[in-house]
Amino acid sequence: MSAIVFKNLTKKYGKQYAVNDLAVEIETGKITGFLGPNGAGKSTSLRCLVGLAAPTDGSSTINGVPYQELENPLSQVGTVLDSRGFHRGLTGKQNLKVIAAAAGIDDARVDEVLEKVELSDAANKRVGKYSLGMKQRLSLAGALLGDPEILILDEPANGLDPVGIAWLRTFLKKLAEGGRTILISSHQLAEMQNTVDDVLIIHKGKLVASGTLSDITQGDTLEQAFLRLTGGAA
Amino acid sequence: MKLLVSELRKVIYVRSNWGLLVGAIFISAVGTAVTVPILAPVEGGAVFGVSLQETSGVDSVYANAVSGYIFAIILGILLMSGEFRHGTAVATFLTSPKRYRVVFAKLAVSALAAAALMIISAVAGFIAGWLALQTVDDAASPSENLFLNLILASALAGAVLGVIGLAIGTLIKNQLLAIVVTLVYLFIVDPLLLALFPDSAKFLPTGLITAMLNLDIDAPELGINTNNYLPPFEAAGFLVAFGVVFAGVAMFTSLRRDID
Ligand SMILES: Nc1ncnc2c1ncn2[C@@H]1O[C@H](COP(=O)(O)OP(=O)(O)OP(=O)(O)O)[C@@H](O)[C@H]1O
Ligand SMILES: [Mg+2]
Repeated sequence: MSAIVFKNLTKKYGKQYAVNDLAVEIETGKITGFLGPNGAGKSTSLRCLVGLAAPTDGSSTINGVPYQELENPLSQVGTVLDSRGFHRGLTGKQNLKVIAAAAGIDDARVDEVLEKVELSDAANKRVGKYSLGMKQRLSLAGALLGDPEILILDEPANGLDPVGIAWLRTFLKKLAEGGRTILISSHQLAEMQNTVDDVLIIHKGKLVASGTLSDITQGDTLEQAFLRLTGGAA
Repeated sequence: MKLLVSELRKVIYVRSNWGLLVGAIFISAVGTAVTVPILAPVEGGAVFGVSLQETSGVDSVYANAVSGYIFAIILGILLMSGEFRHGTAVATFLTSPKRYRVVFAKLAVSALAAAALMIISAVAGFIAGWLALQTVDDAASPSENLFLNLILASALAGAVLGVIGLAIGTLIKNQLLAIVVTLVYLFIVDPLLLALFPDSAKFLPTGLITAMLNLDIDAPELGINTNNYLPPFEAAGFLVAFGVVFAGVAMFTSLRRDID
C-alpha cells in the first residue's frame, strides 16, 4: 500500500499553475526524494497534502484518507515545512509543549525529542535567539513528537552547516531503518543521491519523472539526470 | 480538552499577554484614583453634581475600576491574530486540522483569560480608589453590594469581550490592522454614530459595553443618558451575538483560506 497518494492534485494561484495535475504514489517504508527547480511546486504540493492549502482540483491522501480526516494526525505524520512555525518569544521547549498539549502527548516526550535533535542545551532559550540550523532542528523535533510512521520534510537541510548536514543524513537513515516513510524535498542532489530510495521530479508544477533512484539516474549522477529532465544545461 | 490545555499554555507563555494585564491594571488603578481629585469638593460646592460625601459619588469613583476592558478585547484579538503574525498557525493547524475546533477552544480560553484580566484589574482599581479616598474628609461608604456587583460585571464583560476580540482577530488576521480597526471603531466611529443616531446608541458596541458594565452616565449636554440603555444581561447577550456572528463569518471566510 502507498503511504501517500497525490490524486491529480492541482493548485492555481490566480491563473498561474503552481501544481498541475500531480498524480503519484509514495511507497510505504521508503525514503522518497521530492526534487525540482525553485518554484517547481514542491512546497505547494506538500502544503496541500497536509491540509494547510486547499487544492484547486484533485486531492491527496495519507494512509488512505485526507490529512484533515486523520485521527490525531501528529501520531501518524510528522511535518517540517519551509515556513517559520515557532513563536520567537517562547523557548524551544515551550513551543513544543504547546504542540504536545494539543496532541495529547506527554511533556516527557518533549525532552526526549529535544535530546534526539541535540537541542537539550538550548531548550530554554527563546527561539528568537536560535540560529537557522537550531530552528531546523527544532522543526524536526516537532515532527518527531508523535513518533509518526510518516515524515514529510520540506528542505530540512536548509540552513544546516556541513556538520549539520552529516548529522541529518545519519539521523534520517536511523529513522528510515525503523521502517518509516519519508518524503523529503531538497536541492542538495549529491546528498539526496546518498539518502533516497525513490525519486520524484517536478518542473513547472508537472511531474516529469518518478521511480527508483537507479531508474531515474540510468547510471548518471542524480544531478545529471535532474538537469536532463528539467531542461537545465548539462 | 487537549486543545484547551494547549491554548491555555499559549496564553501563559506569551509575554505580551502579561503586558496587557499590566496595562489593564494600570489604566484601572489610575482611572479610579484620579476620579477622586476630579470629584473632590472645590470650596464646598459639588462638581458635576456629584459629591464624595454621598454614596452615589463614591460608587461612581469605584465604577472606573472596569476601565481595563479595552485590554480584554485586545487580548482576544492577539490570541488568534498572533498565530498568523508569528507563523504558529502552521503548527496549530497541523496538529488540529479541523480548524473550527481550534476556534472553539480559543473562544473558551479567551473568555476565561479576559475575565481573569478584568477581575484582577478591577481589584487593582478598588485598591487604588480606596487609597485615593483616604485623602478626602468624611467620604461616604460605597453601596453595600458595589464590589460584588462590579466584580461580577467585570467577569461577565471580560468573558464577552474576550469572545468578541477573538472573533475580530479571526476575521482580520493581520494583528496590527485588527487592533487599529477595533480602536478606531470604538473611539471614533462609535462616538460619531452615537452623536448622529442617539436613539440607536444602545445597540452599538460602546453602548452595549457601557450598559453591560452597568455604568450610570447622565450627561445631557453630550446627548448621553445611560438610563435608556439596555439592562446589563441583555446588553451582554447582544455583545455575545456580535461575537458569534463575527466568529461565524470568520470561520467561513478568513479561516478557510490557505495558511502560509
Ligand atoms: N501563496 C502564494 N501565492 C501566490 N503564488 C504562490 C504562493 N505560493 C507559491 N506560489 C507560486 O507557486 C509556484 C510554486 O511555488 P513553491 O513554493 O511550491 O515552489 P518550490 O518547488 O517549493 O520552490 P523552492 O525550491 O524555491 O522552495 C511559484 O511560482 C510560486 O511563486
Ligand atoms: Mg519550497
